[in-house]
Amino acid sequence: MSHSHSSRVQKHIGDPISEKPAVDQEFLEEIFNDIQSDFRFDHELNGCLNCGICTATCPAAHYYDFSPREMVQLLWTENLEGIYDAMQEKIWACAQCYTCAARCPFKNSPGGLIMLMRETAIKHGMESAKSVLRPFSRVMLKLISTGNQLAPDMITPDHFPDWGPNISKVDAPLKLLRKAIPMATLNTTATAWEVNLKTSIELYTIWEETGVLDQLETIDENLFDVIVDIMDEKREDLEDWEDEQEDENDE
Amino acid sequence: MTKPILVVGGGPAGLAAAHSLSALGKKVVLVEKEDKLGGAPILSGYAKLVPSGEWAKDAIGGMVKRVEDSKMIDVRLSTTVSELSGDTGNFTAKLSSGDEVNAAATVMCTGFTHFDSVNKPEWGFGTHQDVVTTTQVEQMISSGKGVRCPSDDRKPKRVAILLCVGSRDRQIGREWCSKICCSVSANIAMEIREELPDCHVYIYYMDIRTFGLLETKYYWKSQEEFKVKYIKARIAEVTSNGEQLIVKGEDTLVKRPITIPFDMVVHAVGMDPNVDNRVLSESFDVDLEPHGFIDRADSYGVVGATSRDGVFVAGSATGPETIDDSIAQGKAAAMSALECIQATK
Repeated sequence: MSHSHSSRVQKHIGDPISEKPAVDQEFLEEIFNDIQSDFRFDHELNGCLNCGICTATCPAAHYYDFSPREMVQLLWTENLEGIYDAMQEKIWACAQCYTCAARCPFKNSPGGLIMLMRETAIKHGMESAKSVLRPFSRVMLKLISTGNQLAPDMITPDHFPDWGPNISKVDAPLKLLRKAIPMATLNTTATAWEVNLKTSIELYTIWEETGVLDQLETIDENLFDVIVDIMDEKREDLEDWEDEQEDENDE
Repeated sequence: MTKPILVVGGGPAGLAAAHSLSALGKKVVLVEKEDKLGGAPILSGYAKLVPSGEWAKDAIGGMVKRVEDSKMIDVRLSTTVSELSGDTGNFTAKLSSGDEVNAAATVMCTGFTHFDSVNKPEWGFGTHQDVVTTTQVEQMISSGKGVRCPSDDRKPKRVAILLCVGSRDRQIGREWCSKICCSVSANIAMEIREELPDCHVYIYYMDIRTFGLLETKYYWKSQEEFKVKYIKARIAEVTSNGEQLIVKGEDTLVKRPITIPFDMVVHAVGMDPNVDNRVLSESFDVDLEPHGFIDRADSYGVVGATSRDGVFVAGSATGPETIDDSIAQGKAAAMSALECIQATK
């Protein structure tokens, strides 16, 4: 993980009248190369007809100064300053619903491109990524340590007033409904955070191998330390349990 | 006795091919699957044609009459070719009627199929009555009834025409530009403005392709003389508030999402390969090109050549095509057929 450029990141694109670039050209190129060299890039950007169906269909565009078409155009025209600028705020407005990808006549995936830009923002520890993710520390803690954030029985009308009248839809006989799921389940609606030890370790291995843990360290060092402690503890628990099993077999 | 030339399809290209051959003293068997001649302009009830401005029933009707009146042309209606065997100079076509035709050469003028708007459900065709196709508006005009909202027969005050419906859309496997819809839509927009001067007509486009001389007569004229408004936007969806249609898009030049009410939304439907092309490819043993139209083997040497010697193709069977060019291609393919018969003698 390279942090060498973090110190050169400035908060805003500079005065257009000044001859001195606000952000080092080399760094702008590095950012763009990180986005463009991802194996998903060519799959998600085929060209652009500038038709605007992505923005027309985008829920975020109706509420924020955000346009998926603008993001696609910046990438397609290799507008390095514009890309960097968009990564300071705009890219975080996307809800990742991918309606744009379902409608684009060119079969681009603007949502997928946004994801590449976000991953790059995280990789470089951009302030925008840190501030966007800060309120989600608790969510990330649960997601990364248990693999999920909510058990069905936690979704109650009291806890989610912002869902409006739709919340009544989850106020259903969940246990009964769960029994109707054809494949084998644990038939539980309450044990989401009680994860099998082996499953937990496998999950942690995935976080490590895919670089998720590195990303976390870049974005939130404190949370990273807390989660690494949890992971170490679980790994010790598993070793202890395995030792016990061996002892029992020896007897 | 010289063998006749088989012409398959009685639209503009087939009518032109049959006429040219008969005028040169050749016998023609003209096979048409529908029960009357004329092809799409007649069968789908087009109004005034682009770019002549003549009514389809007069312009194409005249071509039909010329063929029907010819003693050299044997017209077989409600008939298809189920198998074509043999070679140049000696083809045998089995017809659905049970007859067999011995022909020296074959010209396929098998045409296209209008895109079925049901395949783009987010644009409301089939869900909302007042969402119609360009073909339906052509029929409203050609029938003399005038442009009316199908739901309650009212005169629309606001009409949106959406371009590229079934064209230039990889989501539904149709990458091609259908070529004629921009000009046809501008033509329809002007017709609507002429009949209903109080009606506002908007055209939503990705690009405007009123190619060649059509630029002046359609794109510019529709704006300068008829005040048709062009907005660069591909519409996301067409819904309804119970009274009017609601159109959602992005005005890409003004750069904001827009939601606008309309009385009528018109789909400028594209040109699909004939739905029968796979069957036709089998029974005539000719190749299709990647989009599903009939492949042209040669552009410069033998005009209208297919992958099979002695079998020629013309018109919108080869890809989206204008009526004028289909007629020219029909004559050209007829000439190629004559050349190849001459060469084998």
